[in-house]
Amino acid sequence: MTVADTPLLEARALGFLRQEEPVFGPIDFELRAGEIALVEGNNGSGKTTLMRVLTGMLRASEGELRIGGGAGSLVFLGHHLGLKTDLSARENLDLAVALYGRRDDVTLMSVLAEVGLAGYEDEPVRRLSAGQKKRAALARLLMLPATVWLLDEPYANLDREGIALVNRLLALHAARGGAALVTSHGAVTFAGDTLRRIRLHA
Amino acid sequence: MRPGSTSSACAALLHRDLLLAWRRRGDIAMPVLYALIVGTLFPFAIGPDPALLARIASGVVFVTVLLSILLSLDGLFRGDIEDGSMEQLMLAPQPLALLVGMKILAHWITAALPLIVVAPMLASMLRFPASAMPVLVLALLLSTPLLSLLGAVLVALAGGARRSGMLLALMLLPLCVPVVIFAAGAVSAAQQGLPWAAPMAWLGAGLAMAVVLGPLACAAALRIAMDT
Amino acid sequence: MANWVPLWLHRLSSPQTFYRFAGAVRPWALGLALVLGAVALYGGLFLAPADYQQGDAYRIIFIHVPSAWMSLFIYGVMTVSAFIGLVWRIKLAETVAMESAPIGAAFTLITLVTGSLWGKPMWGTWWTWDARLTSELVLLFIYLGVIGLYHAFEDRRQGARTASFLALIGAVNVPIVHFSVNWWNTLHQGATIRLLGPSHMDSSMIWPLLLMMVATKCYYVASLFARVRADLIAAESGKAWVRDLALGTQERA
Repeated sequence: MTVADTPLLEARALGFLRQEEPVFGPIDFELRAGEIALVEGNNGSGKTTLMRVLTGMLRASEGELRIGGGAGSLVFLGHHLGLKTDLSARENLDLAVALYGRRDDVTLMSVLAEVGLAGYEDEPVRRLSAGQKKRAALARLLMLPATVWLLDEPYANLDREGIALVNRLLALHAARGGAALVTSHGAVTFAGDTLRRIRLHA
Repeated sequence: MRPGSTSSACAALLHRDLLLAWRRRGDIAMPVLYALIVGTLFPFAIGPDPALLARIASGVVFVTVLLSILLSLDGLFRGDIEDGSMEQLMLAPQPLALLVGMKILAHWITAALPLIVVAPMLASMLRFPASAMPVLVLALLLSTPLLSLLGAVLVALAGGARRSGMLLALMLLPLCVPVVIFAAGAVSAAQQGLPWAAPMAWLGAGLAMAVVLGPLACAAALRIAMDT
Repeated sequence: MANWVPLWLHRLSSPQTFYRFAGAVRPWALGLALVLGAVALYGGLFLAPADYQQGDAYRIIFIHVPSAWMSLFIYGVMTVSAFIGLVWRIKLAETVAMESAPIGAAFTLITLVTGSLWGKPMWGTWWTWDARLTSELVLLFIYLGVIGLYHAFEDRRQGARTASFLALIGAVNVPIVHFSVNWWNTLHQGATIRLLGPSHMDSSMIWPLLLMMVATKCYYVASLFARVRADLIAAESGKAWVRDLALGTQERA
């Protein structure tokens, strides 16, 4: 078995119970290099809980979870963007790089240009609009070497152009050998051909 | 691909927290102001008799410093939990205990160090003898990190709870009784010209233990608190 | 060797089995507590001779001392079950730890109140910063902190886990507090009257004391089981066995 064959993320009969009631699962899936998976389900179907289990914040009640790349190979973007509003985009990214490391083929300027924030690198995040804050958080994904992106509702609060940006970044990530798990409650027009769907039922 | 090294990650986190505190430097002055106000009230409450003030000065300084630290501890992890930064820290490849230790260190530098700087002034306002001042400062240097470490564990535990400063005080009180006893004991021994090395050594031993166990307990508490 | 023991324990830790087991044990424990308590009180208040120094005032020890033992014993039980609950994630252990806390706090309060009542004739004051009383007061604060933290959470399970962790921290802290308070007491040369000195007690005083100790343990078991049963019913209200139980009661009524 070669390295490329081992899944980056693998769930076997994974499930989570709260007060003995199943929140989601048991579900099975695996994510390999170059794959983008869309987790679909209505509100309350356990999408966010699944994300928290995958990031290790919550402990799965049943089943198994295997992470191919070990610590630091996952990066998570949720409802809260994890940006300090008193700091600039540059300072926020500096800490992320110090924690997770940096991809060799990118620079701060190149990722900020990629998400359309060129020229805003020293602006405190507090002064950016909601959409721009999200873009700054997306820049962090691009900057880090993590192979698996876990994106919880990345399309929320984004205009048509922003949605296109998320899709472009996902395609780019898949093309360079990464994988991503994306949740969404609505219909998303994702253009990629490698899209897999995981349905959660309420 | 290369993950960030542990030491540079710690340095970067320390730098970020200090930078954040600097951006809101008005907040740094608040605990100091609070301690000065509480300390100033004592002579009015019990009368300006120098002998009486000198006797209670060290106790007043320790209790006011403790209360100021308690006030400033409340927000230690709240910002990080609310804006999603805590998840970034927990997912990072570095041990969470080390990162949390850096946050506590940053908190100690921004909240406790200014208090230690003004403590001699507060003490001399209360007629504390200058001869025992070095012992007071030494006791503060050993006891304030201990309080920060103990308090941080409790703040982490209460992180997922409904906000309650009172609850934090209730939980911290039993933990800080030994700290106050040994710190104030050393100072009052020095004031009376008695040997003060033994209580100071106990304080140091407690600090050594807390430096090792505190961040570990804090990381465990945070994991429980985020487990919702 | 005897592998039925872990099996039995495993089955007992299921809420349904424990509910039945606790229901069966509780009346016996309560009855035993009342009978033994009554006998011990009779022995202590009427049969035991008056103390040559303290007269009849010393008789409060038949309440005070067993309560003080229980306040520490229950903290021990709480610590052990909190540890088991945190490490092996056994819900029953969490419940036992959390339901022990109010009982322990009550015993601690009784200890403090009776100690203070005893202190009035002995020391001429209701309160003195004696090492034991002070440690007991700190213990009460630890209990209250655990109870307060448990109730500060929306999610009971999370509250139980968090408060369990606090109980463990408290367990490390209690000996340190006791040591420091002792040191502090010698420094300040306060009242150092020893309540339970090495003075040998008459056997007619010892047996009611020991009997009372057993009675308070039985009371603890009875009270704990009642609380845990109520807790289990509430936590498992969606489960089939609770529904069957409720339906069964209705049919009988």
